[in-house]
Amino acid sequence: MKKYPLLLALLILSLSVPASLRAELVVIVHPSAETDQLSRSDLINIFMGRYRKLPSGVAALPVDLGPLRERFYRQLVNKDLAEINSYWARLVFSGQASPPLQLAEEKEMLAYLRRNPGAIGFIDRANVPEDMVVVLAFPDRTPQ
Amino acid sequence: MKSFARLFRTRLALRSAALTLVAVGLLGALSLIGAMMISERRERNEQHQRLEELLDTVERTVQIACFLDNRDLAAEVASGLLSNGIVGRVRIVQAGSVLLEMGDSSRGSAAALERSVVSPFVANDEVCRIYLTPNAEQIRQSVFEASLFTAILLTLQLIGIGTAVVWVIVRLVTRPIRDVSRRLRELDGESGEKLLVPPGNEQDELGRLVMSVNAMIDRLVSSLRGERELRVRREVEERRFRTIFDNVETGIFEVDGSGRLLSANPAFKGMFGLPTATDLSPGMVRLCDLCELSPAEIGGLLAGCEADRPAQQLEVRLGSAGHSRWIAMLVNVYEPDRYQGVANDVTERHLATQAAEQMALTDPLTGLGNRRGLTRRLEQAVLGLEANPAQRPVLIMLDLDRFKQANDTFGHAMGDRILQHVARLWTELVRDDDFVARLGGDEFVVLLNGPVRRESLERILSRFLELVNMPIPLDAERSARVGASLGIATLGEDAHTPETLLGHADEAMYRAKRAGRNCYRFYADEAG
Repeated sequence: MKKYPLLLALLILSLSVPASLRAELVVIVHPSAETDQLSRSDLINIFMGRYRKLPSGVAALPVDLGPLRERFYRQLVNKDLAEINSYWARLVFSGQASPPLQLAEEKEMLAYLRRNPGAIGFIDRANVPEDMVVVLAFPDRTPQ
Repeated sequence: MKSFARLFRTRLALRSAALTLVAVGLLGALSLIGAMMISERRERNEQHQRLEELLDTVERTVQIACFLDNRDLAAEVASGLLSNGIVGRVRIVQAGSVLLEMGDSSRGSAAALERSVVSPFVANDEVCRIYLTPNAEQIRQSVFEASLFTAILLTLQLIGIGTAVVWVIVRLVTRPIRDVSRRLRELDGESGEKLLVPPGNEQDELGRLVMSVNAMIDRLVSSLRGERELRVRREVEERRFRTIFDNVETGIFEVDGSGRLLSANPAFKGMFGLPTATDLSPGMVRLCDLCELSPAEIGGLLAGCEADRPAQQLEVRLGSAGHSRWIAMLVNVYEPDRYQGVANDVTERHLATQAAEQMALTDPLTGLGNRRGLTRRLEQAVLGLEANPAQRPVLIMLDLDRFKQANDTFGHAMGDRILQHVARLWTELVRDDDFVARLGGDEFVVLLNGPVRRESLERILSRFLELVNMPIPLDAERSARVGASLGIATLGEDAHTPETLLGHADEAMYRAKRAGRNCYRFYADEAG
């Protein structure tokens, strides 16, 4: 039952996603986070609210960038936004975990990253500023 | 309780129903136990299934809770699971440590359902394990409810079967049997009336039973008829014999071993002077008393009776000398201790015989003994002498003097009168048991029972001579005169046999004639 929508989604993605949108997504932090590399599972734990800190001990502050959000989660946990939203909807009541900060503008995100040492965000590889550290790069194609 | 036991004993339907119910009840109990076991297993499986489904339902939330170590969320899920009655306990274990444990740990020891929970984001990454323990109490409860339902159904079925069995038995067996039995009771068997086969039972066992009863009635009636005919015939026979028994002149009687009369016909009673109405059944009348005999004599008679042997005979004399009657009896045994006899009154025959005998020994003219009578008397006297030598009878022999002349003068008829006169003289002179005989013509013999003294003998002799010498009146004018010569001999002294006694007396009588007649001479006087 669970495999069906997955296969369907893969099919749709592979056929319909335009080449321009298939640019490589990278995860970046400010050097003040004292982190230069994160594993995929670390990222999942941070973005899905499991870990509150980076491996370096700095408090983690994940940031969602609106336009790239769908692509990011598809590549990170292979889920669509509806699933991610429902996941967080479940948790907000308990108050023990909160979803990443939602930002719509790339500039805004970069500014937030520069202001907060533990902040972590994702961006198109082509737009990575020089003062940011890429901790993980997703392959071009959707994993799996 | 007692009346119930009685009812149970007397009611076929009740008994059959009870036995059927016991059998059905046993089978029912067995099937109930089986059903309970099956339903428990089914219930367990069902619950397992439901637990699996429950887990499916909450798995996502559990994944998230475990992924985030979120105890609140886990508690939320657990309490949701526990709100379902079939879940007894929820336990979530994360990497060896218990994240959460909820529910009543005391609720049963049923095997827990275990499921591995993976991360919601990474396949094959186990984040925790969840254990669901089913609620044993609840299983028991639902099994109990299911069993209760089955039991109620079974009980209803039992009651139904019982009622049906009772109804069927009462309807098909008991009631027809009762009807047949009632009709059988009301049946007049002697008339040959038959039972009716209950409608609908013609072909079955009841019909056959009724037909068997009818066949038996037939047999009984025919044998009854035969019996009745036999009885009638026997009654006729009995009346015939009874008539003979009552009217025959022969006396018929029965006695037992001790000689008591058991029954007797009227002729017998008449013979022995018993009133006809005498009831002999008590056995109070003894045959020996009737016959004027001693009990021993009758006992001897009865003892002589044996089957297959000629009847025992007995002739008895009843009554006094002047009025004697003779009864001849024949007695036979016909059963142990039971004797049957016939009695005939033989008095007339006896008297006739006696008369003939008397006549043969009697002189018809004088009524005295004749020569044959004398011979017999002498024989008896000799026998008596042997028994008692002191008796010594005395024989007197005489003939009349001048009888021939008287006979010639007056004729034979008058001569006969003279002889009768002399005979009367002698019978008047001697005792009753002495014996006087006329041997023929004018010759007389007197035999006196001894012993007789000489003086009294001579007195008798003298008296005789005196009387015989007196004139014998023949008619109104005429009379005859005779005399007598007598010779005397004594048995046991002068002679020992009849012949010599007569010879010696004769010799003595001739001596008297030679001595001049009209006197007497003793043989002993001259011989000595």
